[in-house]
Amino acid sequence: MFKELDPILHSQLRLAVMSLLISVKEAEFTFIREKTNATAGNLSVQVNKLKEAGYIDVVKQFKDNYPQTICKITPAGIAAFDVYVKNLQSYLKK
Amino acid sequence: MKTDTITGEESLQIIQQMIHTAKNEQKDDGIGWIVWGWLLFAASLFSFVNMKLNLVNPYFFWNVLGLATIVLTKFVFFKKEKSVKTYTGELFKKLNIGFFISLLFIVAAINLQAVSAMAGFALLINLYGFWALIYGTALNFRPSVIAAFIVWALGFVALFVKTFDVTMIIHAGAALAGFIVPGHIANKQFKAPATGQNYNVS
Repeated sequence: MFKELDPILHSQLRLAVMSLLISVKEAEFTFIREKTNATAGNLSVQVNKLKEAGYIDVVKQFKDNYPQTICKITPAGIAAFDVYVKNLQSYLKK
Repeated sequence: MKTDTITGEESLQIIQQMIHTAKNEQKDDGIGWIVWGWLLFAASLFSFVNMKLNLVNPYFFWNVLGLATIVLTKFVFFKKEKSVKTYTGELFKKLNIGFFISLLFIVAAINLQAVSAMAGFALLINLYGFWALIYGTALNFRPSVIAAFIVWALGFVALFVKTFDVTMIIHAGAALAGFIVPGHIANKQFKAPATGQNYNVS
């Protein structure tokens, strides 16, 4: 049914993360967690899967002595999201 | 991984809701405009009263405004970094820097007598209009776009004014139309409740 849809993007949390990141320049992990209401553990796993797919960049750094994780969508991520949305639209038109 | 439990409609809903959430982050609370607008408004009106009553130096209230702006700049106009960076937010940072540099340029021109005070204030009003148009367009905030044209009309009128006290009244009107009214509307919209979603599924 959804074979043509990218399995990396076709999951609730990962799609939510990508939809958030496509609209902003970059976002902290805490922001994404707050907006998706996901647990830190689950979000961390899904963010890692997106990173491994090359769809997002994850930068871990320190700010005012506190660890900070910043996520940013990559050009490959934008292209994959674009294809996903187009495929989704064609499916919904059927 | 529960990839088979999400339907096409659900996917579309998630995309729409998350993009809407991100858009909400680009909203401005309007506090900066309100504070800045009231400062300009107060300085204009106090200067007008001062000119009528000859209480202190004619530019006394503008000097007070300058000091207040320096203090408020750090806390109100350039706020603490948020946990998300938007393209609009980055544009506003640069816009505000450009706005204050242009503003200081005109203030310097007035103080160095490169332009008369009345012409200088007309130029300042023109600058407020420019700021309001860019801000309103980037935020898709119609009150600010409308305000820009009202402010420009006031700036144009200010070019033909013969006395400085009338310039001050026009300047107060520009502050009201360009910053205070749109600022309060933006603040009201910002405070409107937003809905949250739970996507804690892999």
